Amino acid sequence: MFGSERSVVEEWLSEFKSLPETHIPSYAGSLHLKKSLVPALYRVIQDPNNELLEPVCHQLFELYRSSEDRLRRFTLQFLPELVWVYLRITASRDRQSNGCIEALLLGIYNLEIVDKDGNSRLLSFTIPSLSKPSIYHEPSSLGSMVLTEGALCQHDQIRVLYSGLHPQRETFTAQNRFEVLCFLMLCYNAAVVYMPLSSYQSVCRMSSRLCVCGFPRQQQKLWREPCNRVLLDPEFMVQMLTAVYHAIYNGEWEMGREALEDIVYRAQLELYSQPLLLGNAMKSSLPESAPDDPRGRKVLQVEVTPTVSRISISAITTASIRRHRWKREDTDGMSGGEDSFNINDPDEGFSSGASNSSQPSGTKAGARLSRDREKVREREREADRKPELLTDHQPAESRPPQRQQSPPSSINLEAIHLSPIKKHLSFPVGPALVRTGSTSSSKSFDCMTFNLNGGEDEQEEAARGEDKERGISVGGSHRHSTISLQEEHLVRPEEAQELLPAGAPLTKQSRSPSFNMQIISQV
Amino acid sequence: MTTRKSGSRLETEIERCRSEGQWDKIPELVRQLSAKLISNDDLGELLLGECKLQAYLKENPIKQGSSPRGPRLKLVEVRKHLTAALDRGNLKPDYLQEASLLMAKLCYVEAEFREALGHYGRVNLDEMQLAGAPVYRLSMIAEAYATKGLCLEKVPAGSPSLSNKNSGSPSSSRSTTDREQEIITCYEKSGDIALLYLQEAEKALSAGIQNRSPKPGPTTQEQELGYFLETGLQRAHVIHFKNGNLTQGVGRFREILRAVETRTTQNLRMTIARQLAEILLRGMCEQSYWSPLEDPPAVSPLDDPTRQGHIYIKNYSLSRSPRLYSGENLFCPQENTEEALLLLLISESMANRDAVLSRIPEHNNDRIISLQSASVVYDLLTIALGRRGQYEMLSECLERAMKFAFEEFHLWYQLALSLMAAGKSARAVKVLKECIRLKPDDPTIPLLAVKLCIGPLHWLDEGEMFAKMVIDMGEKAAEFRAKGYMAIGLVYSLKATDASLRSSQEEYQRKALGAFQRAQSLSPTDHLAAFYLALQLAVSRQIPEALGYVRQALQLQGDDVHSLHLLALLLSAQKHYHDALNIIEMALSEYPENFNLLYTKVKLEAMCRGPEEALLTCKHMLQIWKSFYNLTNPSDSGRGSSLLDRAIADRRQLNAMTLPDFSDPETGRQQVFLLIWDFLLSVTLNFHSGKTDALKSEVYIGMSKPAEAAACTQEAANLFPTSHNVLYMRGQIAELKGNIEEAKRWYEEALSINPTHVKTMQRLGLILHQLQRYSLSEKVLRDAVQVNSTAHDVWNSLGEVLQAQGNAAAATECFLTALELEASSPILPFTIIPRAL
Repeated sequence: MFGSERSVVEEWLSEFKSLPETHIPSYAGSLHLKKSLVPALYRVIQDPNNELLEPVCHQLFELYRSSEDRLRRFTLQFLPELVWVYLRITASRDRQSNGCIEALLLGIYNLEIVDKDGNSRLLSFTIPSLSKPSIYHEPSSLGSMVLTEGALCQHDQIRVLYSGLHPQRETFTAQNRFEVLCFLMLCYNAAVVYMPLSSYQSVCRMSSRLCVCGFPRQQQKLWREPCNRVLLDPEFMVQMLTAVYHAIYNGEWEMGREALEDIVYRAQLELYSQPLLLGNAMKSSLPESAPDDPRGRKVLQVEVTPTVSRISISAITTASIRRHRWKREDTDGMSGGEDSFNINDPDEGFSSGASNSSQPSGTKAGARLSRDREKVREREREADRKPELLTDHQPAESRPPQRQQSPPSSINLEAIHLSPIKKHLSFPVGPALVRTGSTSSSKSFDCMTFNLNGGEDEQEEAARGEDKERGISVGGSHRHSTISLQEEHLVRPEEAQELLPAGAPLTKQSRSPSFNMQIISQV
Repeated sequence: MTTRKSGSRLETEIERCRSEGQWDKIPELVRQLSAKLISNDDLGELLLGECKLQAYLKENPIKQGSSPRGPRLKLVEVRKHLTAALDRGNLKPDYLQEASLLMAKLCYVEAEFREALGHYGRVNLDEMQLAGAPVYRLSMIAEAYATKGLCLEKVPAGSPSLSNKNSGSPSSSRSTTDREQEIITCYEKSGDIALLYLQEAEKALSAGIQNRSPKPGPTTQEQELGYFLETGLQRAHVIHFKNGNLTQGVGRFREILRAVETRTTQNLRMTIARQLAEILLRGMCEQSYWSPLEDPPAVSPLDDPTRQGHIYIKNYSLSRSPRLYSGENLFCPQENTEEALLLLLISESMANRDAVLSRIPEHNNDRIISLQSASVVYDLLTIALGRRGQYEMLSECLERAMKFAFEEFHLWYQLALSLMAAGKSARAVKVLKECIRLKPDDPTIPLLAVKLCIGPLHWLDEGEMFAKMVIDMGEKAAEFRAKGYMAIGLVYSLKATDASLRSSQEEYQRKALGAFQRAQSLSPTDHLAAFYLALQLAVSRQIPEALGYVRQALQLQGDDVHSLHLLALLLSAQKHYHDALNIIEMALSEYPENFNLLYTKVKLEAMCRGPEEALLTCKHMLQIWKSFYNLTNPSDSGRGSSLLDRAIADRRQLNAMTLPDFSDPETGRQQVFLLIWDFLLSVTLNFHSGKTDALKSEVYIGMSKPAEAAACTQEAANLFPTSHNVLYMRGQIAELKGNIEEAKRWYEEALSINPTHVKTMQRLGLILHQLQRYSLSEKVLRDAVQVNSTAHDVWNSLGEVLQAQGNAAAATECFLTALELEASSPILPFTIIPRAL
């Protein structure tokens, strides 16, 4: 490290300490003007023996603790480098202490897992549903909603918690390491747009090196420093991919693509499906050419595209089959008004009228989230009590009554609510069908109950099987839901029909024409 | 058509033809028109000029990106008509404006851009009425704005010739920015009016269809937008993005998408929806997002900072705008992934509609196009859903992609991976088989299949088949070759554990050992290869060799939990219990909540430090269970909850890892318990704490506290009545109380659930021995030895029974075997350590 760099860092260290509170905003605004500071800080972080490392880590944490977003982002830009140094040292045989880096990482983590009021921060988002009108579409105009169990269970938008309830951590252990690091990368990715190019380079470098070090591919790299293999977690690799994906399109085309290749390489070797899935998708959707300027951004290339369908009229498509069907019906003289259908191109399943009238409310999701939060608290309270029998949980889980109306009574609702996929049963038999007209709704009910009964039978069979085997009554086994049975297929080798279970769209299409006709003719 | 039409009727008919673009009918109608009134001649000229211009453009369409080619012979006629219409000045003002607009358009087609701008300067487009205007006029105005924009782009800003043409402010004072602003405004207005026009046209069309009878012919033919409207709709955002002004581009995209779709805009919407999703995923993040109904941030990191001068401010409003989607409870995204997902789902449903299903060669190109547009959407969906951990939903989406997937490796592979990530293992394996067929030389695919087969599925024969595929690839499999040997080693190792005959057990163990050795020599820096070799050596009781390899594994990967555990068990096999306990405690400092380690710790503590301390550890285990579940099961937000999925995945893992006795494959397969895993959360929670109770009671039994042990066991039994472990425990308590008959009954029940539970068999054998039913006892014990030939206490008991029967020679042999095995027996079976790829 050169003397000049050292003095830059030292000056930065002392300047912030002597800064009065009122000057912080202007300081935050001017920080990016210190051109030589960031490279100098990278030098410090990369060298575990540098005596400035400790004060630098300390100061980075102080910046992160301030209320100024720009200062927090200043610290955040070093996150990839910090993670790399931390993981490399952890994997090395001589485990030098990298205490201050660990402390900084844990410090950021502990700040981020809580919101302003000190409650656990819950990150959630809504999975949109096409059967609900949005500012971009109307359900009736998109004809592709097949009336299937799958479609029904997606009828409601679902609020999903994707991160939350992380406990405070005092130390890193092998067990919590990637839980902490994943969350930190999630924070980085939530602000990735604000990061400078040097940080993108760092994240690409980190990803490449973590994925190849100790593997044969390292030999092909310029960077050959001997290093042990670093254990990686699939979810952490997904976070790396997200950051790298951003870097690719925002100025680090070459490095980013190299990192992407390396992550996919490692995911293959580890047989991790999640990063492999994302990595493949990212690779296959890459534009063919690099941006004109090697550092240029390539978020999007737009040209004026012809609006005429590029697919010739004569080709048989899903839509043309539909058109054909309507036309045939037309000549049969079954009903009037099919031309307007023709324009809307209604489809299997929900016809326009049916789904238009069936939109309860979009606010349900939010309500459910708050309910979830209540439930979290409920559970926390329960933690103080003894873990009691199942029945103790039931009051907390029970739902507002209107949602329990339709499923056959033999299914235990509580059990279903607890299931991760509960909406299969508890929600979908909802108003949409009821309003399409009596025949059609009863028809679809038949279908539903058929499925349910099917599941029931199977389940009872399983239960009977158990009985036979053991000669002992099986207490809670009737709490199965169809879903859990589907899940159970995983462990039963004899599932020959697995490839096309009752819920698969393929079989459904063979079934649907008859009864979607019915529904539409109702309308 | 030969019947004469009255004046107003005729005008309506003309208006309709103009709106629907039926230009070929115009000349006939004009003939009828002129026959009525002389003053209609000018209008006739206008109409003829228009229809000829349109016909020309239809025959010689202008291509995007190319310039018009200058005057053409056919256009002379058009100019003649229009000049005639304009010159005489008899036209009503509305028609006069139309004639000027047509003239300007003609000028553009003839590449006379300045002249065109001159015409637009005279008309003043902004003052043309949108409300109440006939449909065709909306289209005209939209085209006019677009054409004006095109002309402005062609004519350099500082051009002096413009000022002559009465075009408002003198051009010399205009800066480039102003010019750019004006161009974009032209295009945006054009786009807005075009959307309005298309909505109105569609409305008119469907109204016309309903009013008219009998049914018209093929009126629902695709309406083509034509060059000018296409440009008007899209050029504005193209310029925004060219200028690096993403914020404005995103805003424009959203405006277009919010307008109610028409048949003609479907393709455009599909493209734009996908492009907007790309921007959201590639160029935005949670913190830089603003919702479609909010104002964009003043300064956005999205915009190219080097082009600050090009900020565009939207500063117009139209008297009539296109209809937007409206209604109560419209879903409006609040987060970038949400918006991206919504857009992608919309694109997906459109792409699906265009899926070309026929496979005849003529449609090859169409098929490729439809496949490409769909597969881009599916890739983006994968990225959006994957980063939020929504693999369940993703697998459902990708399943819909299967109608495109015939012989398409990428789609099949992605489906398989998503099924795998969603935990649908059995289906995943079947899809992977198809992937292997499509791409037989990729070693990753069969390896993924083996991973599932020996993991959650326990399909060992299938696993063996897949692993052999990798090995058969030989050198071609490169780095995956070692993995292939490891995979087949694991298959054999698990088969050995499952095998009920000693001979086949030994055969599989030998094969497994060979495979692991091969893997280790191929990949000496892989800690897993060294570890599994060590584990297999340990299982075959080659303790010193195993110690060597486990040390090697630990050198490669210092905090690998399984290696540490194996080291501790190996030390315990050498009867270095205190060293083993130290290792376990060290491992626990890195994995404080690992139940396998805790369980081993309990056993070791009971051995070294007495049951009191072991009991404390048991309590600790219980506490961890409670806190673990209070932390990870908060959301029952249903399908797609990633946290919940994770909890379930954890439990799957726990099934393999943390419940030694239950998952111990030597005590029969895991079906019973795997069934339980699919039970719902609370059941499992209680079940697990029940397990801990059972463990606790084992310690109590060690302390000879039958009352407490009975209470614990009762608790466990209430929660999980069919566990052979609980029944076994009850038997032990009964034994402790001296109720031999009762104990025998419990043991028999336990065996009826799990006929290969060695511990129960041993106890039962002992009791039968006590009851002096020697031959039955011998039979039970011999069965036990068949199941597990390394259980030294069973050998010992067998020796005792044989001795009691007077078979001294056989008894001695048994005792010797027991002694020998005991010398290398670990505190818990080595197979407690999970084996997975």
